[in-house]
Amino acid sequence: MNQAPLLTLLLFLPLVGAFLLLIIGKRERLSRIMALAIALVETVLACSAWFCQDAILPAAAPKGFFLFEDLPWIEALGIRYTLGMDGISLLLVILTALVTVVAMLASWRAIHERVSLHYLLLLAMESGIMGVFLSLDLFLFYLFWELMLIPMFFLIFIWGHGRNIYSAVKFFLFTLVGSLLMLLAIIGIYLIHGSQSGMYSFGLAGLLGTHFSLTTGLWLYAAFLLAFAVKFPIVPLHTWLPDAHTDAPTAGSVILAGLLLKTGAYGLIRFGYPLFPEAARAMTPLLLALSVTGIIYASWVAFAQKDMKRLVAYSSIGHMGFVALGIAAWTPVALSGAVLQMVNHGLTTTALFALVGMLDERAHTRQIEDFGGLWGKIPIFSAFFMLFAMASAGLPGLNNFVGEFLVLTGSFKTARLATVMAFVGIILPLVYTVRLVQEVIFQEERRSLPLSDLAIRELLLLTGLAFGDLYIGLHPAPLLEILKAPVALLTGGAP
Amino acid sequence: MTTTDLFIALPMLLLAVGALLILLIGAVTRDDRAGTTIGVGMTMGAALWLLQTPPATVAPTLGLSAAALPRLFGVFLSLLAAGTLCLSHGYNRERGISGEEYPATVLFATFGMLTLASATNLLTLFLGLEAMSFGFYILVAIDLKRATSGETGLKYLLPGALSAAFLAFGIALLYCVSGTLSIPETLQLTLAGRPDPVALAGWGCFLAGIAFKLSLAPAHLWTPDVYQGAPAPVTAFLSAGSKGAAVLLLLLLLAPATDAALLRIPLWGLAVISMIVGNLAALLQSRVRRLLAYSSIAQMGYVVIALISGRGGGYQAAAFYAIAYGVISLAAFGAIAVLERCGCGETLDDYRGAGFSHPFASGVLALAMFALAGIPPTAGFTGKFLIFTAALRSGEFSLAVIGILLAAISVYYYLRIVIALYMGRSSRIPVSTSHLLEYLVLTVASFIILLLGVWPTPLLSVLEQTFL
Repeated sequence: MNQAPLLTLLLFLPLVGAFLLLIIGKRERLSRIMALAIALVETVLACSAWFCQDAILPAAAPKGFFLFEDLPWIEALGIRYTLGMDGISLLLVILTALVTVVAMLASWRAIHERVSLHYLLLLAMESGIMGVFLSLDLFLFYLFWELMLIPMFFLIFIWGHGRNIYSAVKFFLFTLVGSLLMLLAIIGIYLIHGSQSGMYSFGLAGLLGTHFSLTTGLWLYAAFLLAFAVKFPIVPLHTWLPDAHTDAPTAGSVILAGLLLKTGAYGLIRFGYPLFPEAARAMTPLLLALSVTGIIYASWVAFAQKDMKRLVAYSSIGHMGFVALGIAAWTPVALSGAVLQMVNHGLTTTALFALVGMLDERAHTRQIEDFGGLWGKIPIFSAFFMLFAMASAGLPGLNNFVGEFLVLTGSFKTARLATVMAFVGIILPLVYTVRLVQEVIFQEERRSLPLSDLAIRELLLLTGLAFGDLYIGLHPAPLLEILKAPVALLTGGAP
Repeated sequence: MTTTDLFIALPMLLLAVGALLILLIGAVTRDDRAGTTIGVGMTMGAALWLLQTPPATVAPTLGLSAAALPRLFGVFLSLLAAGTLCLSHGYNRERGISGEEYPATVLFATFGMLTLASATNLLTLFLGLEAMSFGFYILVAIDLKRATSGETGLKYLLPGALSAAFLAFGIALLYCVSGTLSIPETLQLTLAGRPDPVALAGWGCFLAGIAFKLSLAPAHLWTPDVYQGAPAPVTAFLSAGSKGAAVLLLLLLLAPATDAALLRIPLWGLAVISMIVGNLAALLQSRVRRLLAYSSIAQMGYVVIALISGRGGGYQAAAFYAIAYGVISLAAFGAIAVLERCGCGETLDDYRGAGFSHPFASGVLALAMFALAGIPPTAGFTGKFLIFTAALRSGEFSLAVIGILLAAISVYYYLRIVIALYMGRSSRIPVSTSHLLEYLVLTVASFIILLLGVWPTPLLSVLEQTFL
C-alpha cells in the first residue's frame, strides 16, 4: 500500500529540519540534538521503506519501482514531481540516512563555531541527495543535483582549513561545468522526444523509448557522462577530489566520499545507460579504459601520500573505479556488484574518514610520519582502524571483497582485458593499506601525541559501521535479492 | 478624451499626479516621509488598477493600449518603483539625500516606463523611453554632496543623449519607409519581404540606441561607472526597471513581427559579444558594484538569446527573465544598500565577514548571487532554463553552448562575492539600526526569487496567454 507519501517525507523532512534550525538560531546544544534527532527519524523512515516492497502501485508506475509518487508541477513545460524507489534507490537512500547520522556524530565535538549553521547545511544536503536518488523526472533530478552542491560548498569553505577557499571553488566549478552541459542535453532530449511523440515531458519513463540518431545520441550521452564522471570521479576529472577532501572538515569529507560520489554512479545507472543504450555501448571502451586507469593510477598515487586523508581520498578514486567498471560491463552480476560496491565504499570510506578525523581532532595532525605505535596507546581505536583498512583493501569476509568480486566476475565475460587489469588493481590497495596500517598502528611511537581512546559516541558510530561491513561481507544475500529485480530490468532481462 | 482613453491612461495619470503632488507638498514640509508615502501609495495604486481592470482596447488618440503584456510589465515596474522608494528611505537619510525631488523623479521615471509599456506607436514609445531616461539622468546624480556624483551623471547623460539621437533617427528612417508610426504596420512594411536599404538603416540605428539602454556590448561602457556612482537604490531601479523596460520595448517590437529574421544576425552578434565581454570583465573586478555591472551586461546577453529564439518560446523566456532579473537586481542592490548604509565600503574586501555581522542582508545578497549564477531553485535558474530551451528549440545550438559555457565561467565571480561575505571572523562593518521597510522589500524580493524557482506556473501561464 502506498497511503503515506513516504518518499515526499524522506525528501522534505531534512529540509523542514533545516528551517527549524534556522529559527532556533544560536542555541548550539539544542540545534545539535535536534539535527541528530531529525537525522535519526529520517533513518527510521528510510529503513521502513524496506518493508514496503510489496506495495501495490497505481498502474502508471514504471516496472520495478515499489514506491511511486507522481504529481503535476510545472505543467506548461511538462515537468512533473515524480519520485520513485526501486531496490537500487532503496539501498542508497538508507546509506544516505546512515552516513548523515555518522557525519553529524563525527562533527559533534569538532565544530565549535556557527554550530547550527553547520547542522543546517548537513540537513539541507541530505535533502538534496535524497532528491537525486529518488527523482524520476529529469528536471527534478537536475534541480536536486545542483542543489546539493551549495551546502557542500559552504561546508568546505566555512569550516575547512588550509586552502579551503581554493578547494571549495574548485569543487563547485568542476561539478557545475559538467552539470551545465548536462542541462543542455536534458533540454535536448526533452525537445527531441517532444517532436517525436508530441508529448513534451521530462519524465524518465516516457523518455526511455526515444530514438536518437547515433551522432545526436553520442553528443547527448557525452554531456551526461561528463557530468557524472566529474562526480564519480573518473580519472582525469578527479583533481578536485583530493583537494576538497584535504581541506574539508570531517563531516564534509564523510558526506563527500560516502554520498556525493555515489550520485555520479547512480546517475549513470539510472539515466545515462537507459536513456542512450546505443551511445553508451559505443562509448563503453572509453569508460572501461578510464575506469581501469583510475583503479591503477589512484592506487599508485595513494601510495605516495603523506597525509592520511589524502590517501583515503585517492583510495576512494580507486574504489569508484571498480564501480565504473561494473557499470561499463553492464551485466546483471557486474551491475549488482557495482551498486553493492557503492554501498560498501560508502560504509568503509565513511568510517576511515571519521577515524582520520578523530586522530586529527586529538593530535591536530594527519601526517602518517607523525604517528606510530597506536596499537599500544589506543587499542580500541587501532582495532577499528585495522578492520576498516582491511575492509578497504578487500579482505575476504568483509564487504568490499563481495562488491569487487561480483564486479570482476560479472565483467570478465564482456570485458576480458579490462577485468584482468583490474585484478592487478586489486592488489595495489593492499600495498598502500598495509603500509598505512603498519606505519600508523604498529611501529615505534614517533612523536608523543595527546591521544585518548574512543569516547562512547565514537564507539557507537564505528560499531554501527563495522556491523554493516561485516554483515555485507558475510551475508550479502538480502541486499542482492533486493537488487535483483531492478538490475535485471536495467540490463534487459526479465525481472 | 473618451472614457476608454481615461481608463487606459489612469495608471500613468496617477503617477504623474503623484509626482506633481509630491513637488507641491515639498513647498509645505521638508519631511521626506510625506513624499515617500505618496510615492508608494501612487505606485501601488497604479499596480492595483492594472491588476484589477480587464484588458482594454487601444486608445487611438493617445497611442496607448492596455493589452496583456503592457499590463503585466506595468504591474511589475510599478511595484519595482514602490520597492525602490521603500529602500531609499533609510539609505537617503544616511547619505543626506533629502528633498521632495527624489520621490517625484522616481515617480516620473516610472511614468515614462508605463507609457513605454503601453505604447502602440513609435512616437509614444520614444516619448516614454525618454521620459524614463530623463528621470534616471537626474536620479543617478542626485547625491550632490559626493564629488563623483556629477561625473556619474555626465557619464550617463552623454551616451544617453547619443542613444536617444540614434533612436529618433532610426524611427524617422522607419517612418520614411512605412509612412506610419503605428508599430504593427511599421513592422509589416519594414521587416517583411525584401528589406529596403533605408529600413535596414533605420533598424540599425534603432538597435544601436536600444543596445545602449540594455547596456549590450559594445555600447556598455557607461554601465560600470553609473552602477558604481549612483546611490544603491537608484542602481537597483536602473538595473531592474530601465532594463526591464528596454527588454519590453524589444518585445513590443519583435513579438508582433511575422518575420524578424532580418534582425537575427545583429542581435546574435550583440548577444555573443555582451556575454563574452560581461562575463570576462566581471572576473577581473574587485569592487562589488562594478562586478555586478559587468554581470548585468552578460545577463542582458542571455535575454537577447531569448529574443533571437522568439519562435521557440523565446519571447516568454525573455519576459520571464526580465522580470526575474529585475527582482534579483532589486534584492542584490537592496542588500548592498543596507550594507552600505551600515558603513560598508565598495570593494570585495570590505564585504568580508558581513555574512556573520549582517546575516539578513548578506543572506539576501548571497541568494541573489546564486540566482544570477543560475543555481536552482531560484528565479535565475528557471529563467536560464527557459532561455536555453527556447534557443535549442529554435535551432540556435552554437548560441546555447556558448551561453552555457560562459554561464559556467560566471559562477566563479558570483561565488567570489559569496565567499567575501562568509570569510573571516569579524567584519569591520558596524551594525546600525534596522529599517522595517528595507527588510520588508528584501523579504518579498527573496520570496519571489525562490517562488519563481519552485513554482513558476502562475507567471508562465500569464505569459503563455500574453504571447498566444
